[in-house]
Amino acid sequence: MLKKALLASATLLLAVGVAHSATWTGGDDQPTNPLACDATPPTVAAKPYDGGVPTNPPDRKGKPIKVVDVPKLIGIGYFDATSKGIAEAAKELGNVDAKTDGPTKANIDEQVTFIDNYITSGVDGILFAANDPVAISPVLKKALSKGINVVGYDANSQPDARQWFINQSPFNGIAKSLIDNMAKEAGEDAGVAIVTSTFTTPNQARWIAEMSTYAAKCHPKLQFLETVEAQEDNNLSFSQATTLINKYGDKVKGIFGMTSVATPASAEAVTQAGKCGKIAVIGLATPNAMKPYVAKDCVKSVVLWNPIDLGYAAMEVLRATADGTLKPGSTSVKAGRLGELAVINGSEILLGAPFVFTKDNIDKFNF
Amino acid sequence: MTKNLLVRHETILAALLALALVVLTTQSSHFFTVENLLNQCRLMAEMGIVGLGMTFIIVTGGIDLSVGSILGLVAILLGVFWKNVGLPLPVAIVLAIASGSLAGLFNGFIITRFNVPPLIATLATLALYRGLAEGISESHSVRGYPDWFYVLGQGDVWGIPTQLWVFLALAIVAIFILGVTPFGRGIYAIGSNAVAARFSGISVKRSLLSIYAASGFLASIAGVIFVSRVSTTRSDMGTGLELDVITAVVLGGTSIFGGRGTIVGTLLGLILMQALKSGLLLAGVKGDGTIMAIGLMLIGSVIVSNLFRMNTDG
Repeated sequence: MLKKALLASATLLLAVGVAHSATWTGGDDQPTNPLACDATPPTVAAKPYDGGVPTNPPDRKGKPIKVVDVPKLIGIGYFDATSKGIAEAAKELGNVDAKTDGPTKANIDEQVTFIDNYITSGVDGILFAANDPVAISPVLKKALSKGINVVGYDANSQPDARQWFINQSPFNGIAKSLIDNMAKEAGEDAGVAIVTSTFTTPNQARWIAEMSTYAAKCHPKLQFLETVEAQEDNNLSFSQATTLINKYGDKVKGIFGMTSVATPASAEAVTQAGKCGKIAVIGLATPNAMKPYVAKDCVKSVVLWNPIDLGYAAMEVLRATADGTLKPGSTSVKAGRLGELAVINGSEILLGAPFVFTKDNIDKFNF
Repeated sequence: MTKNLLVRHETILAALLALALVVLTTQSSHFFTVENLLNQCRLMAEMGIVGLGMTFIIVTGGIDLSVGSILGLVAILLGVFWKNVGLPLPVAIVLAIASGSLAGLFNGFIITRFNVPPLIATLATLALYRGLAEGISESHSVRGYPDWFYVLGQGDVWGIPTQLWVFLALAIVAIFILGVTPFGRGIYAIGSNAVAARFSGISVKRSLLSIYAASGFLASIAGVIFVSRVSTTRSDMGTGLELDVITAVVLGGTSIFGGRGTIVGTLLGLILMQALKSGLLLAGVKGDGTIMAIGLMLIGSVIVSNLFRMNTDG
């Protein structure tokens, strides 16, 4: 009787699961906005402010403030660089005490606990890069309700859970850059695979969604073979990339690395499989991690923005918000040495266009 | 008799807890406030609920490594039953909890019917259930639950977080079952000597089946509370939960070899761990320092408790 019940329920569970599975590309299901196939610059539509508002924040104009930065995880080069940018801005501003602390795995449960505890410790401002846009929002809204200024960078939360979000580069711009470079290197009808972070990480999901629509529009013969998740873990990214190479053999001509950990790991996998030059590796990565592969001509182009500038801009924006110089309805903000940054999409602040590192310029950068 | 009471592991632990609370309060004025304490209780509730079941299991000399994966699986199933299958949310919750209990029952089944050591069996189901969760979710996180659902994880009832009420109720039931009922005494007997227990007429297989199923049931409840607290479901929820829970249970004085341990000890261990995590962060220690402190505390408490036991054993 017990055995039959167990068997029945196990089959039921599996049936439910299989019935609701679908091929997954890794993208989210929000509307996409592909750019033109040529080099026409995008038009940016104006939108009313849709960010959150802190409840009764104290007057912080000109006063010293305590800020904590909680990135997706600590201990990887990318967030070390953003942390450096934040520290740089804090030093320049002179009246900010900034600290970076976060989980050692890209785990939303722990990130939420960190933010929760810092709210209790009485910080004035929180900077964050979210592991999950929905899961992080309740604790950020709690921070807003306590009068804490909340600014995000790199990976967004839901708009009303933070005041501003520093968008490093428009999502469709990054998608265009990645796909155009891949089509140039691997060919218009190449089979490509994607190594991404986790299922719901907001920025990766957005990029992949934009990449799919842009490729369908401008490079329709590109075939997307598979998307695998590697959770910003070096070993996992390497083994996932190797599995892709072994699984698809000659069919895979290009691998997209969607995180700064996945791209060097995929390049390493391609190098160790002896397929340098036969499989193109294009992705987002810090220049230091990619220098050996670019020098060997294994990787021709690396797309990124400057994460130090990203951290710097985030800190400047938080200070401007705390001081009240940046308010809902502002169209631009002065961000120290970066000059005036534009406000787009209601409550996002644009850092700039994506930057492509190639063999010619990668040695000029050190992060 | 009084000497026995004084040198029990639980008493030493309580003294350590009091000491830690005093030290941490001096380090930060934000620590010992009602708001912070209630908030920490809210964060601790999920681990606590799972810890109740884990205490029973470790007292029998077994272990359950799959609780984190069951939590993740239940979280995903909740989303699937509600959004994809379209059932009303209360029905989805009940079904999800039932599935989690079945998962626990399956653990018990493998352990009792096929005599697989609990460590191996639950290590295997840790991977199995996590894989099922990821496969079923296929990347989609479910969001947009109705507001009444969030009261469970984010709301208060009479000023106390909702999940704390649930935890306290379950804890009282657990203390009663383990400490007072014949079933509870049977659990200790199984942990001390399973063969002798069987020959004394205790139904060992039935008891083990029930506690592993109970562990699955409690992990499911924790899963529902978790989803309510972060307002979304993801397949990687609960990763690493089992290690935190086992640390709390062992810190509380339950012997990993079985036969000894109380729910009260587990509660003290939990509170001590959570107090350390909160207090150290407020005092300015970063994440890595806190993990080291918990590890040292665990080693220290086991050594001290063993020293006292060596002196009192005849």
